[in-house]
Amino acid sequence: MWPRCRCSQTAAAAVSCCFPEPGVVHLLQILINGLASGAVYALFALGYTLVFSVLGVINFAHGAIFTIGGYLTYLLIGGAVGANGLLASWQLPVSLPFWLALALAGAGSALVGLGVEAVAFRPLRQRNAEPLLYLISSLGAGVVLVNLVQLLMGAESYSIPASTLAALPSALAQGGAQIRTVQVLLLLVATLLVALLTLWLEGSRGGKALQAVAEDPVTARLLGIDSGAMIRLAFALSGFLAGVAGGLVGLSVSIAGPYFGIGYGLKGLGVLVLGGLGSVPGAVLGGLIMGLAEALVPAELSGYKDGVAFAILFLVLLLRPQGLLGKPVASRV
Amino acid sequence: MSDLSLLVQMGFGALLALSVYLPLRCGQLSLATPGFYVIGGYVAALLSTRWPALSGDGAGYPLTSLALELVVAAPVAAAVALVLGRPVLQLRGIYLAIATIALVEILRVLNLNLAWSGGAVGIFGIPQPFAGPGGYALATWVLLALVCWLCARLEAMRLGRAMAAIRDDELAARCMGIPSADVKLTAFVISAVIAALTGVLAAHFLNTWNARQGGFDASITTLAFVVFGGSRIWLGPVLGGLVITALPELLRPVGDLRLILFGLVILLGPILFPQGLITPERLARLQQTLRRP
Repeated sequence: MWPRCRCSQTAAAAVSCCFPEPGVVHLLQILINGLASGAVYALFALGYTLVFSVLGVINFAHGAIFTIGGYLTYLLIGGAVGANGLLASWQLPVSLPFWLALALAGAGSALVGLGVEAVAFRPLRQRNAEPLLYLISSLGAGVVLVNLVQLLMGAESYSIPASTLAALPSALAQGGAQIRTVQVLLLLVATLLVALLTLWLEGSRGGKALQAVAEDPVTARLLGIDSGAMIRLAFALSGFLAGVAGGLVGLSVSIAGPYFGIGYGLKGLGVLVLGGLGSVPGAVLGGLIMGLAEALVPAELSGYKDGVAFAILFLVLLLRPQGLLGKPVASRV
Repeated sequence: MSDLSLLVQMGFGALLALSVYLPLRCGQLSLATPGFYVIGGYVAALLSTRWPALSGDGAGYPLTSLALELVVAAPVAAAVALVLGRPVLQLRGIYLAIATIALVEILRVLNLNLAWSGGAVGIFGIPQPFAGPGGYALATWVLLALVCWLCARLEAMRLGRAMAAIRDDELAARCMGIPSADVKLTAFVISAVIAALTGVLAAHFLNTWNARQGGFDASITTLAFVVFGGSRIWLGPVLGGLVITALPELLRPVGDLRLILFGLVILLGPILFPQGLITPERLARLQQTLRRP
């Protein structure tokens, strides 16, 4: 999914950059690429894990919300819709700087997350339905969202032009390994968001309340915590994280059509299970490991890259189903 | 698409739905069905295109060769299911679902990259044992009738009752002496064989086979068949498979809104009919109404 290297210099420079000498430089490059893509995986999986921790179910519409975040970012920086779809050639009258567009796209995705909760989750939660039904209804919500995007904006892929960051140089060269500015940006944004989320979860009343609902919804309600509000909050945060991840991927690679998010959502499951379902630090660690593992796949075998996440996922499930940092799965009698 | 072709595809839908239904009958949410469907399709595609002896004397692909493919595909799928089933079925609930999604995706990536499966292009020109969709419709519905009969028999058999007991309460079932691991594995293997047999017919019907035939989309669609129709009696998945496969065709007049409406059906199904359309209770009530003159 991630190109090994994207160089915009002359052909000769591009060759030396895309095929660096084997050895330290090459490893360094893998490390950089892996960490940068891993940071986005981490953001994405954090959203999954927030919802899982409060509800104990997986929101399969998460990938669709990620897609919407990418599209919103693209529209907000002033990108025009392609020739297909109902909104053909339409364009927002504004052209926001990338930072603002990303934040607003995150907010829009948070609203979509709230909508998914209201339509696909709340009716089932009020009836105490079995988990299987959440899986189907959230998938249905994802299918609706993805096809809505396709109807409005067509099936073509969009990418956020690098000129969006015109003020910044496109890459920092460091001893032969290439660090793209976008990669630094991915790492910075992801670190910032993870730090803020952790601070909020551990240090604020709201964060503690969310954790209490995750631990035991009934007791939390007895203690006067509005668990419904906390669940909505988790969906809003989860949507925000997915939307930001979508915008960042749109900038660093591209948004390869509306169905793109579904594939990303599946890989995100791998990250989620690897780190441990419901564990916040686990999602971050899982994301980084997944990014690195994919970056380590040599170019000759790049066709197998998409399989790495699932192979890891499968092995983890067989060997350590609770994931790296998850709590052991308790079987209730 | 001709009406007969739609009938064939509806039959495929119902068969795959029954394949998802069997593990679910003992409480196991396995999404591996498209994987075994793909395996069955490749068995058919490889045997019929790479083994000239099967093609007969030119006048159409012989039915005996098709039968042979079915006979080969069944044990291949059963063997894969046996080997994978033991470790995978130790997982429960959402973990089992995710593990089977991973299996299907791994298989898809392998098929996309390996040489013998034709890579991304797949296998073309799979010979036709039937002259038109009519023959396929007959073959598919005969297979569907057989599988329905098997499922109906199961409900009355020791194995079927053991499956129901495990679904209601696995611990209690084990206390009653039901070997739950073996029962779950048996259901998984039967499910795999049904999917593989469907794959054999589908490969010939579609004339081409590639890695895109099975994937996450297929996992979800087949699961939607069961959830929509109901997962407590075999008639539910059959109805779900028939209706939901036909739905995109029936919705063709609405054009671009088709897939959005399809998504809405999957979204609203569990909310409006949490038990699916067909439940044993509804069926009993219907029988009573019919019996009354």
